[in-house]
Amino acid sequence: MKLLIVEDEPKTAEYLQKGLSEQGCAVDVAHNGVDGLHFALTHDYDVIVLDAMLPGLDGFSLLRELRLAKQTPVIMLTARDRVEDRVRGLQDGADDYLVKPFSFLELLARLQALARRGRSQEPVQLKIANLQIDLIARKAWRGNARIELTAKEFALLAVLARRQGEILSKTAIAELVWDMNFDSNTNVVEVAIKRLRAKIDASFAPKLLHTIRGMGYVMELRDEEVSA
Amino acid sequence: MKGSIASRLVIMFAVAALATFSLIGAALYGVLERELTRHQDEDLNTNLQNLRYSIERVGTADRWPRVQAKMDTLTPSDGRVRFWVLSDDPRFQYGKGLDQIERISQEPDGRGTISLPPQEEAMRTLSQRIGPLDERPAVRLIVGVDVAPFAHTLRAFLVALTLLSLTAMLLVMLLGYWIARIGLQPLQQLSAEAQAMRPKTLSQRLQLEKLPVELSDLAVAFNGALGRLEDAYQQLEGFNADVAHELRTPLTNLIGGTQVALSRPRSAPEFQEALQSNLEELERLRSIINDMLFLARADQGEAATGLTEACVAQEVEMTIEFFAPLLDETGTTVGVEGELQAKATMNVALFRRALSNLLQNAIEHSAPGVRLVVNVVRQAGVIWIRVSNPGSTIADMHLPRLFDRFYRVDASRHDAGEHHGHGLGLAIVKAVANMHGGGVAATSSDGVTTIAFSVLAAGHRSH
Repeated sequence: MKLLIVEDEPKTAEYLQKGLSEQGCAVDVAHNGVDGLHFALTHDYDVIVLDAMLPGLDGFSLLRELRLAKQTPVIMLTARDRVEDRVRGLQDGADDYLVKPFSFLELLARLQALARRGRSQEPVQLKIANLQIDLIARKAWRGNARIELTAKEFALLAVLARRQGEILSKTAIAELVWDMNFDSNTNVVEVAIKRLRAKIDASFAPKLLHTIRGMGYVMELRDEEVSA
Repeated sequence: MKGSIASRLVIMFAVAALATFSLIGAALYGVLERELTRHQDEDLNTNLQNLRYSIERVGTADRWPRVQAKMDTLTPSDGRVRFWVLSDDPRFQYGKGLDQIERISQEPDGRGTISLPPQEEAMRTLSQRIGPLDERPAVRLIVGVDVAPFAHTLRAFLVALTLLSLTAMLLVMLLGYWIARIGLQPLQQLSAEAQAMRPKTLSQRLQLEKLPVELSDLAVAFNGALGRLEDAYQQLEGFNADVAHELRTPLTNLIGGTQVALSRPRSAPEFQEALQSNLEELERLRSIINDMLFLARADQGEAATGLTEACVAQEVEMTIEFFAPLLDETGTTVGVEGELQAKATMNVALFRRALSNLLQNAIEHSAPGVRLVVNVVRQAGVIWIRVSNPGSTIADMHLPRLFDRFYRVDASRHDAGEHHGHGLGLAIVKAVANMHGGGVAATSSDGVTTIAFSVLAAGHRSH
């Protein structure tokens, strides 16, 4: 994925560039609106991450200028969680917005969602190591053993498996599985993960469902698990 | 409106005095003028009748000098009253400047005015035609009265009246100022008392006994406002302390943990551990800040957007389903009762957020294995969602404050554990209710605690 980050705060720009590069994205950074617009117009990016408050040319103006020429997807970053800002951003042609302080995971999830947009049909079968998931029949196997899951447990498994290797925060999981679209302080997701893990990982190897402390959960086959 | 009450009162007194005196003056002037006019008319009439009687009986020229003599006698030396007799026959004429009179006074019998050159003021006249007798033709008798003395009197009266009125008005202003000062003294005392109040002495109230009735209402209202202010002030102070505390704990962990991690050479896993710990604290900070921003927006009266009409019970079921893993874990069950068909206008995400806070709260404060109840009740245009849990009864004094930010019934239970949230859960419920034109309520008795919030029923507009 080729990304452009237009952000004047050096620390933010730096960690975004580092983090996104490590996720396998090609990242360009512009530190002001004028450079940002120039980059956006002269290169073809998959997504542009655009700060609303910029020196020279602010994010909203940049977006308007850009939209005259191109339809590159744009995620706006704004420090003010005001309805007018959101409306203004979306009216000017932003595809999504994030309010500071935002989490890196959330940005990643939104970027992937934007990049996924318009992609071909989802697969009907998923396979991670010896875990097999049939998304149509809503069934899962570990090797030859059929795993009995409740509807929500299956939904949780499917969400994690579809995004294998992608760290999902508790908030993201609550939104994707239960359509609970807010930061909740409850440990529901933890409990649900614990129960899912007991069914799909406890008596099987390799372990696939991992906890990333402080961030969330990821489903992937890890090297140390293979060698173990 | 700027300016002192005293000066406004003085100006109003002055205007009132001016209006009163002007009215009385105008009336007096009118009466005097009418009386003077009547007096003149009587004068004219008496003289006219008197002379007409004499003239009527004179038919010959030789008797005319007697009439003339009588008119001479009746004419005072200052010319205040004058007589003219106009006739075609020169023998039966009287008076000076007859040709002029004839030109000026053309009208037949009755009242009129003429002005003769030497006099400034016109003369009031009364004329009458007297029929012919013997050799005397018909004559016209004109009696004139000089109005100058009357006009002079009126003018003098007017001047006196004006001067008197102005003096009186000045006096009223002075007295009025004095009265206003005395009358406003309680107000000054009140203001001095209010000025002496300081944030530290917020519990102080205005003294009511010494105040007049008109001001005591104000003072009572002011005291009421002070009471509310005191509550809010104390809440704010407590709130600031709470915010500081809530932020201080994660910050202390962050700074301390990072310093410890950096003070010695560490292995990669140790640094990873430190960073993970930091991240947990940072997520806590982010969550507090986001919730505080949300509450601040709700405080500023931001209404919920993205409203849709939704079945309340259905949304309740959805939210309970979200809690299913947690409920299973503790063996807790949730019953949904009441009007299951009721519809409300809501932002679904906000509604679920509020309800999930209530459910979380209910699960936290009840023993494992109990039955929670969510009751949906329609009442006067709003729909109440009541979440009840069996658990220790909360004292009445805490109930109204449950929805305050960072309020904790048990002050010692400040362990801010991972799953305890940060004391904003019920404040958010209240904010969501307010954003939907509803409210919140809490009751607790006989081991059952019910916390409820309401949203506008579908089809009802918020005012």
